[in-house]
Amino acid sequence: MKRRRKTEEFRLHLLVCAGTGCVANHAFDIKEELQKEIARKKLSDEIGVVTTGCQGFCERGPIVIVQPDGIFYQRMKKKDIPHLVEEHLLKGRPVKELMYIPSPREAPVPKMMDIEFFKHQRLIILRNRGRLDPENIDEYIGFNGYQALEIALTRMTPERIIKEVKASGLRGRGGAGFPTGMKWDLCRREPGRIKYIICNGDEGDPGAFMDRSVLEADPHSVIEGMTIGARAISVHKGFVYVRSEYPLAVKRLKIALSQAEEYGLLGKDILGTNFDFDIEVVQGAGAFVCGEETALIASIEGKVGRPRQRPPYPSEKGLWGKPTNINNVETWANVPMIISRGAKWFSSIGTKTSKGTKIFSLVGKINNTGLVEVPMGITMREIIYDIGGGIPQGKEFKAVQTGGPSGGCIPKNMLDLPIDYESLTQAGSMMGSGGMIVMDEDTCMVDVARYFLNFTQEESCGKCPPCRMGTKHMVYTLDRKTKGKGREGDIQFLESIAENVKLSSLCGLGQTAPHPVLTTLRYFRDEYEAHIKEKRCPALVCKDLISYVIDDKLCGGCTVCAKNCPSDAISGEPKKIHTIDQQKCTKCGICITVCPPKFNAVKKVSPAVK
Amino acid sequence: MMRITINGKKCTARYGETVLQVAQRSGIRIPTLCHHKDLSPYGGCRLCIVDMKGKQTPLTACTLTAEDGMVIKTDTPRLRKLRRSTLQLILSEHPSACLICEREKDCDNFQECIKKSAVTFGCKSCPQNNKCELQDLVRDMDIKDLHFEFRYRNLETQRDDPFFDRDYNLCVLCGRCIRACHEIRHAHTLEFHHRGPKTLVGTAFDLPHLESGCQFCGACVDICPTGALRDRFSRYDGPPERTVKTTCMLCSIGCAVDLNVSNGKITCSTPHKDQICARGRFAIAPIVNHPRRITKPLMKKRDGVIEVEWDEALECVSQKLREHRNRTGFLFSPQLTVEAAENIYALGGSLSAKLAMPFLSNVPPRPLALSEIKGKAAMIIVNTDMVGDYSVLLLTLRRKMKDRATFIVIDAFARPSDRFADTVLKPNPGTEQKIVDVLCGPGRFPKESGISAAEIELAQRLVKGKKVYVLYDPSNSVIEKSSKSCKTFPLFSQPNALRISRMGFHCTHEEMLTSKNIDCLYLVGVAPKLERKYGTVIVQDCFLPDFDFDVFLPAATFAETDGQMVDIEDRTKRVRRAIEPIGRAMPDDMIVEAIARAMDLRLTKKSGKRKIVTKRATLRKTNRAYPLRLIVRENAYTYRGKTLSAILRGFDRLRHDRSAWINENTAKKFGLRDGARATIIGRRTSFIMPVKISSYLPQSTVLVFDHPSARRLKNEPVRLECTKS
Repeated sequence: MKRRRKTEEFRLHLLVCAGTGCVANHAFDIKEELQKEIARKKLSDEIGVVTTGCQGFCERGPIVIVQPDGIFYQRMKKKDIPHLVEEHLLKGRPVKELMYIPSPREAPVPKMMDIEFFKHQRLIILRNRGRLDPENIDEYIGFNGYQALEIALTRMTPERIIKEVKASGLRGRGGAGFPTGMKWDLCRREPGRIKYIICNGDEGDPGAFMDRSVLEADPHSVIEGMTIGARAISVHKGFVYVRSEYPLAVKRLKIALSQAEEYGLLGKDILGTNFDFDIEVVQGAGAFVCGEETALIASIEGKVGRPRQRPPYPSEKGLWGKPTNINNVETWANVPMIISRGAKWFSSIGTKTSKGTKIFSLVGKINNTGLVEVPMGITMREIIYDIGGGIPQGKEFKAVQTGGPSGGCIPKNMLDLPIDYESLTQAGSMMGSGGMIVMDEDTCMVDVARYFLNFTQEESCGKCPPCRMGTKHMVYTLDRKTKGKGREGDIQFLESIAENVKLSSLCGLGQTAPHPVLTTLRYFRDEYEAHIKEKRCPALVCKDLISYVIDDKLCGGCTVCAKNCPSDAISGEPKKIHTIDQQKCTKCGICITVCPPKFNAVKKVSPAVK
Repeated sequence: MMRITINGKKCTARYGETVLQVAQRSGIRIPTLCHHKDLSPYGGCRLCIVDMKGKQTPLTACTLTAEDGMVIKTDTPRLRKLRRSTLQLILSEHPSACLICEREKDCDNFQECIKKSAVTFGCKSCPQNNKCELQDLVRDMDIKDLHFEFRYRNLETQRDDPFFDRDYNLCVLCGRCIRACHEIRHAHTLEFHHRGPKTLVGTAFDLPHLESGCQFCGACVDICPTGALRDRFSRYDGPPERTVKTTCMLCSIGCAVDLNVSNGKITCSTPHKDQICARGRFAIAPIVNHPRRITKPLMKKRDGVIEVEWDEALECVSQKLREHRNRTGFLFSPQLTVEAAENIYALGGSLSAKLAMPFLSNVPPRPLALSEIKGKAAMIIVNTDMVGDYSVLLLTLRRKMKDRATFIVIDAFARPSDRFADTVLKPNPGTEQKIVDVLCGPGRFPKESGISAAEIELAQRLVKGKKVYVLYDPSNSVIEKSSKSCKTFPLFSQPNALRISRMGFHCTHEEMLTSKNIDCLYLVGVAPKLERKYGTVIVQDCFLPDFDFDVFLPAATFAETDGQMVDIEDRTKRVRRAIEPIGRAMPDDMIVEAIARAMDLRLTKKSGKRKIVTKRATLRKTNRAYPLRLIVRENAYTYRGKTLSAILRGFDRLRHDRSAWINENTAKKFGLRDGARATIIGRRTSFIMPVKISSYLPQSTVLVFDHPSARRLKNEPVRLECTKS
């Protein structure tokens, strides 16, 4: 075996975030440059450069953290590196210009844990994020990794493990929130010698990247969780189903699997306890519906990924007809902590019905885009304003879509809603896998509903008519509305068809597909009515319902707009008021962006000017 | 026994039964569309939803296994509303102009609607009108309007394949055809394409069915609830007035078929409960209604061949037979009913005439004892097109053995369709027995077979520890038992082979045609190549032969005949008359009886003296003058001596059995292109045939399906010459 570099040999560590977001922003180049620069300054023996999993603060990538001081550098560029190395690493003076500045008026925040984004988070699943190299098992073991496995395998009976997981109150993080311990117990009680467990990593929601991050930052926690689960259910074969769009996750998972096997933590006779368990990685072909457990099982079997009617549930008849337990990546990653720190500790976090923490991917119109792990029961306001830093450009918050395309929109007046499975369901949305898309005042809710529904109708497998045709008709109707062709009675039509799709669809995809429409109808009915009755888009988004006009009083006659108009729709001479020919206008919006701020004369109006 | 309550009614359920099955047994109607009793539960159409006590969301009855104490409601207002809505969603894509038309009742056969939509995509123009399950559902649920915009998919109708058209605009994506193709037929030709609203049924890479391994069994056509898949022959015939269960006599398996009869015409044949193959499904009705069928007696007179009355024809025949008596030779097809064969034997016997063995093989037929095939088994199939010729037998075997059997195909001409086998060995022709020997018992490694040791080893591993059953077609090659653990079963593609072989014969086909002692030939359902002139030729058949005759007696097909047939397992099956014989045709047995009456003969049971003795064919070595070897294979796609591909549309594209098959190298060597006409020259005779180039053929061989001229050159060396046309 190759000798791995000892981590304690160095004076300082530079942790370069190598999550997908930072990698896309050239994190690996930064790392290389850092190493070169450190070598040039002859510091290679004192300072180590380590790549870690995602830090979560993707908005500010690429991120470099200097440990043990915990200094947080963000938006690193190659050209900053000589300066950084010279000042901080050689002279010991942290570089203020590279630190996080919450707003132009505030002072830079040097330490990571002082930043608002990190301060309010509670890390259980992502406990190792950004502090260890995911491609090095020693580091995971160094942070008490595989301790829980040792406890579970040598000191606990399978019944005891299940009891512990049941007592912890852990519920499935994939969406529906089924109690995990109960699920394991059901599978364990099924007769039969051959059973399987599956880790569902087919994360298909637009704007969600929790599972990817866990797999990239800490693959061993998933492997450890699965092995403990396998022991509890008495299973000897597990599968991890990952989207093929996650090549980095697949690569790190495979490295982690081979290392765990090398260390005797996987494979035959694990830790000398005579227990065998083996994990295989299966890559999905990129169908959203394969996140549904029966479709996922069909996909692993090599069939077309289409769901089938439950019951029988996978715990009775799953992969190749054998009892199968299937849990989400995040659920599995929770397990080692429950075993090593106890159910009591775990259940002390969260609300009465929802225990522990949940990872959310915070995206959309928000200042701090990224991945956050928060305890259950935290309010939406805390996530969006305290952690997320509010809405950019001081705009007004309008709604947040939780649970991806299967979830719903939660409006402003529900910002103080404590987040748990029940409250979200009550609000018409769902926990889902944890996507959170924030929308500001410039978002048209009809358009949002149309976007999500269009996604589900395209991703529907086509097996059952309510989902295949129902969503299609809903998209037609919504589409018509955004084009100004809404009719009286459309809202009632949408409600009745949504009810049918929700109740009679075969799988979760169809049953939850109408949620975006139902919640926007519930909380933003006035916008729908404005679209239908007044042909007006209150958020000024739907192209067919708006017009660009030039305010006579404000126009300075600078001709910039006329010069930039691609369709020659603007007429006017210098120093004279310009007008837009609505017949020629293609509503591209260039005029509004080029109009100098001192005039700010171009305006959007709705309904459209004839 | 479990007790469940459906709509307040107490029902008993057996273990493993679904709620739908219990309800159907108890007379409670639950609407279904994607469900079919022979297929696995699918739960796709969402019409069989029911409410279960303790569950908030409705569940599909077809997938819900009954459990003790279940309380089910099938007809609540909520369920009714959901079902109606789902059916309307289906109709929003399926042409439904007529289904929801308010004037539907006024629109009868004599007063049709002229609305454009009804003409373009209304039920009246649909081949499945009045047979459609969707139509029934709409009527049952009394749907009168459509809440949704109608979205016609506007897909092109697929007409490229033989036998049936596919109009996927009418498809409701119930997946029945796909499940039938996978679960019942194991053909794995169909699967869903795309997803969401673009979902379509199709073959891999959207290839035509002909190229995708389709057997054209028609299972998908018969299971389709709508008009999406329709038999081209019967598409305008509407629902049948009656069906007649009979036995298909096109091969030795003798599948039960339902002949659909409308207006005194056989419109199509569908499987009776079980499965049939392309012949049984798509050949019977076209044969019976064939435009070239002769249904009147003909006689050769001085001014040519003219139509005559039966009396005149019979008088002439009896006179000729009396004249020639024992210099008469009877050649007949095994595709006649047992009664017809017995009558021919009796007539020939009372005339002391000669009877020829009606089949090619020289192995005495033995019943295929399926009951002997059991346990863990290895089935070795030698030189037999199992999927093409014996597909229903293969299904029976697979159903019987479940997954306990391994299949090994040994055939130099193994086709792509042999992919069902666990392994395929392609030895040089003539070395098949040696391969069987080495697989079944202590045998020498057959180096001359051209098969690698690794392949043999793999096959040996598949056979190890299992009982070995060798199935072979004796007209292609003879395989003998090589050890105690192995059993051999000759397969005869001709019906009645067992029965007729027991009756004996006087000479073989070839012997009769070359014999100098025969002056008068009496041919019943056979079309040999006549090498010389005869005093009299009497033909009793459905189609005109391609040689001169004196009298032609029009025979009825088996669909117009009552009688019996003996199948491959030696079971006697009833053949029933579905319609009166067309025109003035008569069943074969009755024609022979009429001749006997005209001759004042009493027909008594007679039989021939000779029995069949196993003879091994020897392959002549090729030489420089004749560098290729001609392999003649039995053609199981014939009826009364006619190749189906010669008389029926579609079979020519499916079979190509009137071509000489060669591989690319041979074609290159002799300068032949696909479809070119070539003369196949042997030492004793030559004949002309188009060539078909195929990649899966071995070197230096020419494959010909049973052909009168080719028989004389069987296993002989030949050469090819390009024929200029």
